[in-house]
Amino acid sequence: MRKFFAIFLGTLCCGKSLAVARFPKPDFTSGYQYPDIVHGAPYELLWNVLDVVLLCGMMMLVVWAAYRKRRRAVIWSMSAVSVLYFGFFRSGCVCSVGSIQNVVTAAVDSNYHLPWYVLLVFLLPIVFALLFGRVFCAGVCPLGALQELVNVRNFRLSRAVSATLSVIPWIYLAFTILYAATRSQFLVCRLDPFIGIFRLGGDLGVMSFGIVLLVMSVFVGRPFCQFLCPYGALLSVFSALSWKKLEITKKGCINCALCGVSCPVDAIRPPQRSKTKEMRRKGVNRVILFTVLLPVLTVAGGWLVSGQSDALSLAHKDVYLYEQLLRQEANPDMEEPLEVETFHALGGNMEELKEKVEGIREEYKTYAWLAGALIGFVIGFKLLKLSLKRGRKTYEIDMARCTVCGKCFNYCPQNLKKDEKTIS
Amino acid sequence: MDKGKMKSPMDRRDFLRTCSAVVAGGVALASGGLLAARASTKEGEVFWQIDPYKCTQCGRCETDCVLTVSAVKCFHANKVCGYCDLCGGYYRPNVKELNTAAENMMCPTGAISREFVEEPYFEYTIDEVLCTGCGKCVKGCTSFGNGSLFLQIDQERCQQCNECAIARVCPSDAIQRVSDDNAYKLKDHA
Amino acid sequence: MRKLYRNISVVTTVFMLVLAVMLGVSYYQMQQVSPLETGVMETLKELNETNGDNELLGQQIRELDLLSRKAYFVKEGQLKVGLYLLLGMAAVLAVCLNLYFKETKNLPEKEFDPIDEWMIKSRARKYIAWAAVVALLVGIGFVGFQHVDFKGLLARSSGELGSASDTLAAQDSLIPQLSTVNSQLSTDSVKGEEVDSAEVDDGMPELKIASRAFRGNNSSATSSARGIATSWNLSAKKNILWQSSIPKHGYNSPVITGRNVFITGADAKARELYCYDVWTGELKWTVKADGIAGSPGSMPKVNADTGLAASTVATNGEVVCAIFATGDVIGADMEGKRLWAKNIGLPDNHYGYASSPVMYGNTLIIQYQNNSNAQILALNAKTGATVWSKKGNDKIAWSSPIIATLGGKSALVVMGNPAITAYNPNNGAEMWRVECMSGEVGSSPASAGGVVFGASEYAKCVAIDGATGETLWEASDYLPECSSLAATKDLVFCATSYGMVCAYDTKTGEVKKEHDLTTPFYSSPVVVDGKVYLFSNSGKVYIFSASTFDLITAFETGEKTFATPAFTDGMMIVRTDKSLYCVKKN
Repeated sequence: MRKFFAIFLGTLCCGKSLAVARFPKPDFTSGYQYPDIVHGAPYELLWNVLDVVLLCGMMMLVVWAAYRKRRRAVIWSMSAVSVLYFGFFRSGCVCSVGSIQNVVTAAVDSNYHLPWYVLLVFLLPIVFALLFGRVFCAGVCPLGALQELVNVRNFRLSRAVSATLSVIPWIYLAFTILYAATRSQFLVCRLDPFIGIFRLGGDLGVMSFGIVLLVMSVFVGRPFCQFLCPYGALLSVFSALSWKKLEITKKGCINCALCGVSCPVDAIRPPQRSKTKEMRRKGVNRVILFTVLLPVLTVAGGWLVSGQSDALSLAHKDVYLYEQLLRQEANPDMEEPLEVETFHALGGNMEELKEKVEGIREEYKTYAWLAGALIGFVIGFKLLKLSLKRGRKTYEIDMARCTVCGKCFNYCPQNLKKDEKTIS
Repeated sequence: MDKGKMKSPMDRRDFLRTCSAVVAGGVALASGGLLAARASTKEGEVFWQIDPYKCTQCGRCETDCVLTVSAVKCFHANKVCGYCDLCGGYYRPNVKELNTAAENMMCPTGAISREFVEEPYFEYTIDEVLCTGCGKCVKGCTSFGNGSLFLQIDQERCQQCNECAIARVCPSDAIQRVSDDNAYKLKDHA
Repeated sequence: MRKLYRNISVVTTVFMLVLAVMLGVSYYQMQQVSPLETGVMETLKELNETNGDNELLGQQIRELDLLSRKAYFVKEGQLKVGLYLLLGMAAVLAVCLNLYFKETKNLPEKEFDPIDEWMIKSRARKYIAWAAVVALLVGIGFVGFQHVDFKGLLARSSGELGSASDTLAAQDSLIPQLSTVNSQLSTDSVKGEEVDSAEVDDGMPELKIASRAFRGNNSSATSSARGIATSWNLSAKKNILWQSSIPKHGYNSPVITGRNVFITGADAKARELYCYDVWTGELKWTVKADGIAGSPGSMPKVNADTGLAASTVATNGEVVCAIFATGDVIGADMEGKRLWAKNIGLPDNHYGYASSPVMYGNTLIIQYQNNSNAQILALNAKTGATVWSKKGNDKIAWSSPIIATLGGKSALVVMGNPAITAYNPNNGAEMWRVECMSGEVGSSPASAGGVVFGASEYAKCVAIDGATGETLWEASDYLPECSSLAATKDLVFCATSYGMVCAYDTKTGEVKKEHDLTTPFYSSPVVVDGKVYLFSNSGKVYIFSASTFDLITAFETGEKTFATPAFTDGMMIVRTDKSLYCVKKN
């Protein structure tokens, strides 16, 4: 079998020398014994079980703390546990944010192996979001938890600006899906800003970006979660439709506005009665306009991004190699990049590669269209939502934005009352 | 149902929300179920590993691992080794004298050591702590010797990234996922 | 208390900043330039290999190695400690900041957003709409100029690649040797017959098939040329395209590339490289090997049978290199511009230096084995810088090296006394060595089907498996003295100095066919177009069938011939003791 393997490879790699016995096996006369070399064992898969159990348990604890106790302490300590365990100890892989890509890849490629725990890591936070809101973001996600721990004070951003910026996670998500579905690369993993901190090493550029984000999060609540995280975008949809809604206090709002000020992600909406005088007719017309615009924007987005599919496809290793080969052919004096050199050394077939690349580019056309359509749809939907009027009587939590950090509990005077009573 | 109540905007909103919640939940459950069915049917290939027969020793293993010192290490298959005195992995090419002077050694960190066994054989050992996975010795051994030195990912050190940073840049696609019971692709496996 | 927290915070922040910058720089260094792979270190090692025994250099390398290794591991340790320190300080800072701000809870501040939510919404709507429009326009722009953008993208990425290699090159520029190694590695593959038929101004094409060294490309004694005439007559000008005189005498053989024919000639006054036009026989240019530092003032004593210009030139189609019995080596481009010249030492040779170099990619390989200082030298053909050299204890030999394909790889095969040795032509690493020769080795080896054949008078004829270095068979029926072997996959051809020619079976070493021609042979047989061409010293041509070694034809040319002819498309260039002529069917 071994011999066969060697021959097989030998023909494959055209003359590349592979474990060829140039020198015969020595005949030892001194009774020499081959040493037993033990290689480091891979980590036990049991850790994955523990990960999932902890993930589930910590989310339950957060639910209990947020819905029953209404206290921040438990949630904050969960953050600390998460940063230490999921972050530093387990060094951040695999996380729910990154698992989007595994799931997307598994969905398009039936040969791709999706381990059960990765699927659970992806699904559990969504299930919890459908039931209780974004409890995963609260103190279980190590990325959010890290920002939570360093957060000291919140300086308010203009709401109009932050509403605009909240489109970015969707664009990020669209490209993540595009690159995962075409099996090009895992964008989220590559650009994960905090993994370098957990691992104490990594790409310097990405790490510096992470540090900048971390410094920002001292004064602005969770910049990554608010304006970048693609998984947060996904969760916000489910969270908006959640079965239970978070309440700051059971004892009746006194409209003191403290909760609204305390919220790091600006998820608490103050009581509202529209003072603007606008013709009802005009408002209705606007809603109709944006409803019509929604499919138009979707199609336009799809068209625009799929127009870029050839350039985008350069993110795929094979396409990039093909382009490099073409460039080399056009300009043979150029120094050969390593990829080209290896391609030639291994006797790569240009025709086969070309066929493969054409296949990939076809795929890119489809998925780039979908990604663009998603972006267009999100923009259209946001516009539509922003043109709807809604009134509120008390301070209310916007479940789509709320990351269940629990800060408002500790600010609400009504919520704190009970403690004083029990103490006294 | 009371018609008047249905007309109230709050009810309409609630109704819409319930509908979309059911749809979203259904979608999540259905896709989860589908993927779960797929996930359970396959043999678990979860660890990254280098196929030594595909590896071209380009040197990127040393530089592209997320760890400061790469998790890729040089392994030695004693049963393939020729135990040569003039070892292409131990000495630089054009070596003048077969001694351990710095100008003669291939390994930049001195991770390969050797011990005299009997005339004319030497046993070679890799110190994985010192090894940076640069693959210089592997190249030397593959070009001039039996190819008993080869690169492998040390599973104890590997962080099992969701996407291996070396696999992303490997020019010969030598890094693939392997299953638990095949965590190493050793050359001296009979 | 608050003041204390504030002070701690400030101090930790400052410390963290400094530490972070330090760690960042050190991390960058560790990632970008491995401290163990510095240019200086590599240079020194290269120098050590090319220079002779230089104890001081070795000492220097050892010291530097120790230093850089120490630096590497210390830095690694420092980095680890530093990172933990940074993390710890970050934790302290976070705690202190929290404590400092504990008293000042977030209280309602001046709202800069409008109180009315509808206005916020309207504003957000406007922003998003504008952003979408801008994105749309940019997108349309991209679609419109897609190919332009595409090129830009490529250029950018290649720029990155380029700058990366630039920095590398900058590091290496100190040492010409290193860059030559690089360039040589990149043009690794040996170019066989160059396919290049660019039309030249007078309408005569450049020739596709070259003969770039002694006995053809790679000194292989075979040519892929076809349609070579099997009869010609110099005096009747039958099948003769041209005949030209040669200014200075030499025993070296012609070499053809493109439309140039190269030979050299020398006497006590000058040593010269000549370039003839393959179509007209016109002497296009002459390059003199003069004014070279280290060149001997008086000519070395040489045998009349050898002369001062016995070595054939070698070319790679861009540079032509010639070596003379004085140890002078020159390189010239195709236009006759001398690129470099150097003296590699006066050969201590009782007959005169006679080995012909061979070209491997951009490397000129010289078998410089004389009574003292025997070595194999590899020079950069463009600059003359030493790429590698290999010293040995071999005795003097006049044989020429060949480039053979052994086990699927190019190998340099050198036949000397007492061994036939195969080297990696890239770095001179020895692949195998078989001690089987003795006496004065003047014949050159041949190779076919991965087997190396070598034979010399007073020794034997051996066949060696090129992959393993194992001797397959030995024979001693007929052995060459000056003439070299030629081989097909079935037969090895051998011409002796006493008039016997024979063909050995490549599998067994048994003599398949022999002819007693009673005339000495110094010129070597060449296999071309299914035939073997062989010139006797007197100038009689013998043409044999390459498959059976039956004599097809033989005739006198009338001019003494010691050189081996060179072949190209339908043409053969022959050097006689006084002229150069071209045979072509007309």
